[in-house]
Amino acid sequence: MRNNALLAAGLLTAMLAACGSSEPAPVVEQIVVREPGAPAANATMEQSAETAGEVDLVSLGMDAFQACAGCHNADEGGPNMAGPNLYGVVGRKAGGVESYSYSDALAGSDITWDAASLDRFLANPSGYVPGTDMVAGAVRDGERRAAIVAYLASTSE
Amino acid sequence: MAKFILNGEPVEMDVDPAMPILWAVREKAGLPGTKFGCGIAACGACTVHLDGQPVRSCSTAISEAEGREVTTIEGVSGPDGELSAVQKAWISEQVPQCGYCQSGQIMSATALLRDNPAPTDADIDEAMSGNICRCGTYTRIRRAIKVASGQLEPRADDIGQEA
Amino acid sequence: MNDMTPEKKPSKLGKWSRRGFIGAGVLAGGGLLIGIGVRPGNPIGKLAPKVAAGAGEQLVNSWVKIDTDNIVTAIVPHCEMGQGAHSVLAQMLADELDADWNNVRVMQAPTDGSYVVTDTARMFVAPFTMNAADWLEPTWNGLFTQVARMADALITGGSSSIRTTGQHQMRIAGAAARKMLVGAAADEWGVPASEIETRNSTLMHKASGKSASYAEFATAAADQPMDQTPTLKSPDQYRLIGKSAGRTDIPSKVDGTATFGLDAAPEGVALSYAASVRPPVPGTSVASMDASRAREMNGVLQILNMGDFVAVVADSYWQAQQALNTVEIEWTKSESPIRTTQDQFDAYAKAMDDAGATGGEMAASKGDAQAAFADAKTALEAEYKVPYLAHAPMEPINCTASFKDGKCDVWTSTQVPLMVRSAIAEGIGVSKDDVTVHHPYLGGSFGRRLEAVYATMAARVAQATGYPVKMIWSREEDTQKALYRPAELSRFKAGLDADGRMVAYDNIFTQRHDPAEASVPGIYNIPNTSVRVAEAPLHLPFAAWRSVDHSQHGWFIESFVDEAAHAAGADPLEYRLAMLDGSERHTAVLNKLAEISDWKAKRPEGSAVGVAIVESFGSIVAEAIEVDMSSGKPVMTNIWAVCDAGYVVNPDGFRNQIEGGIVYGLTAAMCGELDLQDGGIVQSNFHDYKMLRMNEVPQITVAIINSGTVPTGGAGEPGLPPAAPALTNAIFAATGKRLRELPIAKQFA
Repeated sequence: MRNNALLAAGLLTAMLAACGSSEPAPVVEQIVVREPGAPAANATMEQSAETAGEVDLVSLGMDAFQACAGCHNADEGGPNMAGPNLYGVVGRKAGGVESYSYSDALAGSDITWDAASLDRFLANPSGYVPGTDMVAGAVRDGERRAAIVAYLASTSE
Repeated sequence: MAKFILNGEPVEMDVDPAMPILWAVREKAGLPGTKFGCGIAACGACTVHLDGQPVRSCSTAISEAEGREVTTIEGVSGPDGELSAVQKAWISEQVPQCGYCQSGQIMSATALLRDNPAPTDADIDEAMSGNICRCGTYTRIRRAIKVASGQLEPRADDIGQEA
Repeated sequence: MNDMTPEKKPSKLGKWSRRGFIGAGVLAGGGLLIGIGVRPGNPIGKLAPKVAAGAGEQLVNSWVKIDTDNIVTAIVPHCEMGQGAHSVLAQMLADELDADWNNVRVMQAPTDGSYVVTDTARMFVAPFTMNAADWLEPTWNGLFTQVARMADALITGGSSSIRTTGQHQMRIAGAAARKMLVGAAADEWGVPASEIETRNSTLMHKASGKSASYAEFATAAADQPMDQTPTLKSPDQYRLIGKSAGRTDIPSKVDGTATFGLDAAPEGVALSYAASVRPPVPGTSVASMDASRAREMNGVLQILNMGDFVAVVADSYWQAQQALNTVEIEWTKSESPIRTTQDQFDAYAKAMDDAGATGGEMAASKGDAQAAFADAKTALEAEYKVPYLAHAPMEPINCTASFKDGKCDVWTSTQVPLMVRSAIAEGIGVSKDDVTVHHPYLGGSFGRRLEAVYATMAARVAQATGYPVKMIWSREEDTQKALYRPAELSRFKAGLDADGRMVAYDNIFTQRHDPAEASVPGIYNIPNTSVRVAEAPLHLPFAAWRSVDHSQHGWFIESFVDEAAHAAGADPLEYRLAMLDGSERHTAVLNKLAEISDWKAKRPEGSAVGVAIVESFGSIVAEAIEVDMSSGKPVMTNIWAVCDAGYVVNPDGFRNQIEGGIVYGLTAAMCGELDLQDGGIVQSNFHDYKMLRMNEVPQITVAIINSGTVPTGGAGEPGLPPAAPALTNAIFAATGKRLRELPIAKQFA
């Protein structure tokens, strides 16, 4: 009878260990940005916007979009993730990324995304399009929504 | 600075407003009961309540919690530490296996029973189908929800431990 | 945090107070330790510092601590990943010890060679030594303890904890400790040991009216001689074994206090967080990276090209992952000719074509299959196909590592803590003694955490940064960069005689891992059999995936036998019964299944029941699934299982495992599939690598047959193999459509 895989794996480890350890692999490239606890050298978007005395909506939106980035990429040529790529979404028909498999609800809707429809959808996705697969990620705050929409719109320009 | 109520206590957190509630409560508030499973709101392991409603905290920015009440698994039992009916049923029906998804399951079940004190199997299936359990405890969860809602008697333990 | 924290915390549920009394003569820190189940000699002096952390505790032997409050702690070597091993092993020890179950706690054994699972190793390497004569037992025990130590055999897997460690270590440790306590009391009271009774952690001598708690004699017991072959209880003496004792770990899993690997929070350690990405194609590495965007992002501390992966370290995991997503990485090119799913199956088909009708390595043979085919009345052929699968446990892969003054501590979910220790020692160039592995609860595993690479990655990053780091893999990384249940093709040929009996059987496939007997239709009496393996390249690295080869061959064999039953015009359950040729245990299992599933009952229009029976990991499991096809898509409406594992130690825990195995198997059968494209995996997360959910899982009824008096079979895996074939056989019965490929759902989309 052959040994169980688990044990065989264990025995293999033991044999490898007996052969003497090799040198640990060196670090190829190490970029140290800062030490833990040290203040950030790069100012956050918020701070820079405040310093400038004006609100750059697209920049704020790019920051706020990080909350969406678990499921969506918005770079040109970026991949679909759990959600479709959103580059150039404004002006696109809902369900319009061919390589992405949409819910029937969204694919079957006749929405063409503009600032108003994106704002409505983001405020309450399943309220606007019942049956959408987007079960999370609603943005309640109107200003943040406006910023995200402005950022997304900027990718269509 | 994010300001909200966490398990009944007002908190202030200096975090990126886009940071998901999940990581804010785990890493900043030090409450690890809420689990990371998928990061895309597809598994339910991270379920918390936002003003009483179940949300996927991995995909809900901390800015969404501004001025609102966030309840995690650590805030489900009574102030004296007494377990909720749902938690007790989870023990009597011996629901958890690995237990990793169960915080989320309990948060979803708790929200269900608040809105619907006597759910049918179909109600349970609908409310709970956003929560994945890889150990396959679904049939026990269904039963435990019925026990918690008084529709079924708890399982009798033949040794009586933990009863 | 430390992994010696007893599972039964003095929480809001607790009946356990931990007053810090130190009894006279107990070990420093208190309490009593009773020895290892049981190692030659009693090494408690050496072990006590490693396990007797609490005040008022005494190690009696390696596996038993008793504290001054009379709380018994069972030290369990296996990990707890949801299978319930911690609790049930303590239950076995407590029964032999006559301990008060309400005052038993469980402690995870430290990652130390002293706690290797000798009998798990022994069962797999030399099962013939398992029931050695008493005089020989200490020799075998000593030998296999050494073998197990060399092999880093602190392993949890193979559905083996109860039937190996439980039966051969924990029960013995409990019985030995009891004997030591009795011996100590007999000496003190001046009465014969045989007159002392034990019950609920109390010693009693009726004639003199003396009684004492275990705690009072714990210290003296540790000095008593330790019997390595104590008499174990007979089944009529069991008080806990055979009962559905509630699991000791469950209370902490309903209030958020259970600590999993992901929750590691070493005391006094400020953690930074790392996200990592490995190459998309096996065998490739980082060619170059451009981190210019990442270094500008909030919270980022470091960006590291480690050669075989890239990591970003930040103030929070979320920031690390966001920044990592912006790093542009060029990977080296893969040499593998397999780029797509089709390439993989083509490679399999070619290997089998090359082997021809009789070639390949013979895995099992009986009679003369080729001659029997010539004589057969009916010939039957079929080819089955299953995809690559990932384990996808709910807790994503993670490891917390700290490297300071040449010493490394890691906290991680693992099934193989000693192997993790060795791998880290090698990965960062330190001695094994300088690596300490803490392993809290696992958030599921199913074979996923039998490797050490993720722990080594975290240790290397901690070494490079110089500060403690918690590394977390995204779900996408775990789906695409893990080890996998192989894709497989399997071709069958059978010859039936005039009565429809299977007289010839030939099977060829390409992947043979473990257990070796998985591909052998050994439960059936087929006079002429050949089982062959054609060697073929496997693109993705192999993993033991819950039930390992049985997960595939169970479906292949039980689908093919079902095809034969229908070809013979026989009832599929009766056809199997006839093929068993009188095996009593298998016959009883199938008969019981027919009874509880009401096999012969007429089902509603569009519904039908399918059956399958597989023996794996020592347990015989038959399942029946009722499916409703009236909507055009399969909807499961009922599931029944009957299991014979020899003897079931905790019936409710056993049922829980069988239910889980069924759901895991059906998830794979219905929707599990990983595709290859450009040499990498297409699916990435639960939106495209789908799992069964509550609304798709019907009632499951599990019946247990105890055909023996000791556990000889496992629980974690044996529920899985019959699930997929029972479902596809039911779909055939309902529709006449024979499924020869998994997963099912896409074939009814």
